[in-house]
Amino acid sequence: MKARLTAYAGLQLRDYFLGRAVAVIVATAAATWAYASTRGLTLSVFDSAGGIDARDRLEHAFEFVLATFAFIAAAVAAQGLVARHRARAYDRLLFSRRMRPVRFYGQGFVAAGIGAVMVATAAAELYAVAVHPVSVVGVAGYVALTWLTIGGLAFALSTLTTFHVPLLGLAVGADFVLDHYSSGHGATDAATRVIGVVQYFLPPAHVVAALREPFARGLVVEFHELAWPVVFGIACLTVAVVLLRRRPFAS
Amino acid sequence: MIELSHVSKTYAPSFGHPARALDDVSFRVAAGEVVGLSGPAGAGKTTLLSLVLGHVRPSSGSVRVDGIEARRFVEREGIAYLPQPLALPGRWRVADALTRLAMLSGIRASYTRQRVDAVMRELGLYDARRVRVKSLTRDGRTRLGLAQAILGDRRVIVLDEPLEGMSANSLDRLRELIVRLRAFDRAILIASRDTAELQRITDRVTIMDRGRVRRLGTPRPATPVDIETVFHLVMHQGGEHVLAVFPTAISLGRSTFAVRVHGVAPLNRGLKELLDRGALLASVAPAHAAVDSSALAILNEVGT
Repeated sequence: MKARLTAYAGLQLRDYFLGRAVAVIVATAAATWAYASTRGLTLSVFDSAGGIDARDRLEHAFEFVLATFAFIAAAVAAQGLVARHRARAYDRLLFSRRMRPVRFYGQGFVAAGIGAVMVATAAAELYAVAVHPVSVVGVAGYVALTWLTIGGLAFALSTLTTFHVPLLGLAVGADFVLDHYSSGHGATDAATRVIGVVQYFLPPAHVVAALREPFARGLVVEFHELAWPVVFGIACLTVAVVLLRRRPFAS
Repeated sequence: MIELSHVSKTYAPSFGHPARALDDVSFRVAAGEVVGLSGPAGAGKTTLLSLVLGHVRPSSGSVRVDGIEARRFVEREGIAYLPQPLALPGRWRVADALTRLAMLSGIRASYTRQRVDAVMRELGLYDARRVRVKSLTRDGRTRLGLAQAILGDRRVIVLDEPLEGMSANSLDRLRELIVRLRAFDRAILIASRDTAELQRITDRVTIMDRGRVRRLGTPRPATPVDIETVFHLVMHQGGEHVLAVFPTAISLGRSTFAVRVHGVAPLNRGLKELLDRGALLASVAPAHAAVDSSALAILNEVGT
């Protein structure tokens, strides 16, 4: 009797909504509150009489919230899957059944991506109706892109270590720091070139972060702008699949 | 059905010295057999089971199940497996956990509820069906582990320490379960430190120590015809006649009786009388495996 994995995907999606989605929403809300506090945003920005300046601040705030949500959702997309199952030896119980780890975990990871896109789409739809227009399709696309690029790396790391979330945080943080340094006025040409090479080994988080604005506003994004994040994400997922096939269990 | 041939397994950690868990182990469980695997902690029992389930690969030698590489067999057919400890998310409720695992065991959607209920009743978990896994007693967790293992109808069953923390009642259930699961095309492998109980519920017990097989259990000799033996009778119908025919019989519950007789002749006379009274038997099996003196000597030697 083959495992009914397709039917099980519904439970994986439900687990996502009851667990990780709640954590992502809470973390995003906390980040939004911090952003609003540091930028001095008040409820007056929602006032339609606030003019262009208020609308501009609101759009930037929305884009910040979108990027924060997308990055956190991607970081936890692989949470509770491979690494935790291995740490608790749950994988041994699961895969004594007639199924393959690649399929089970791949499906769990996809369910997390779908869940994140659904949450973001619903929130964007509400926001577009209640506050000001945003591209709901663009929001969904942005969350999916972040899931692929950042989540893909999280998934690959989770097949190697239980510390995949902190490691991911370090890698993403390093990319942002290097990007900030190289785009600043203090960096020499030589340093910028070296940093450019180093960044190819890090997740292109700065590229993904910069895409939040065109996605949220529904602007056309050229394929070459997407190429690096998409290729990086696909490469990470390929590595994850190979690792899961070669080393399906912890030992 | 399960065949390990000259298997060695060395764990090589990134830091520290390699540890040899199994050393040139050859071992076989045929279809229709219930085999026990005993030995002290660290003897290599769990490593051996992990090899059979394809969780780890042997460093040398081969592990085959039904003629194919172990992991391929698991992915093709699946193995009923009780791990120790039972690793299930603590927030799940008993019935939910079994429903999920039934789905992963490939049980049809329309049959899942019925199967889960039947398994919960069989292992005395029905009243605890809404209890969270983390709130179960050790005994309850072991029964849940057994329940999830037998959800599907597998040809190979591997139980790791099923006797751990079991109450007397649960032990009776386990004995009944083993009797029920025994089938001509099924291999059952049970690992436990409780050698005495393994002797009762299995056909033979293989003893391991420090990664080596110290004694391969030999098939239990045919039940002696002239000594007192306990048989387990599982009745399909007419259980009420058992005490009339076998006055010393003890009811173990769930239509199962322990019958003590002197040899097979009085057993067969009694069975005939039961059938004449309209009773129908589901199974008859000796409850106690024979323990030969050499096995006992080795048990003493390895200190189990």
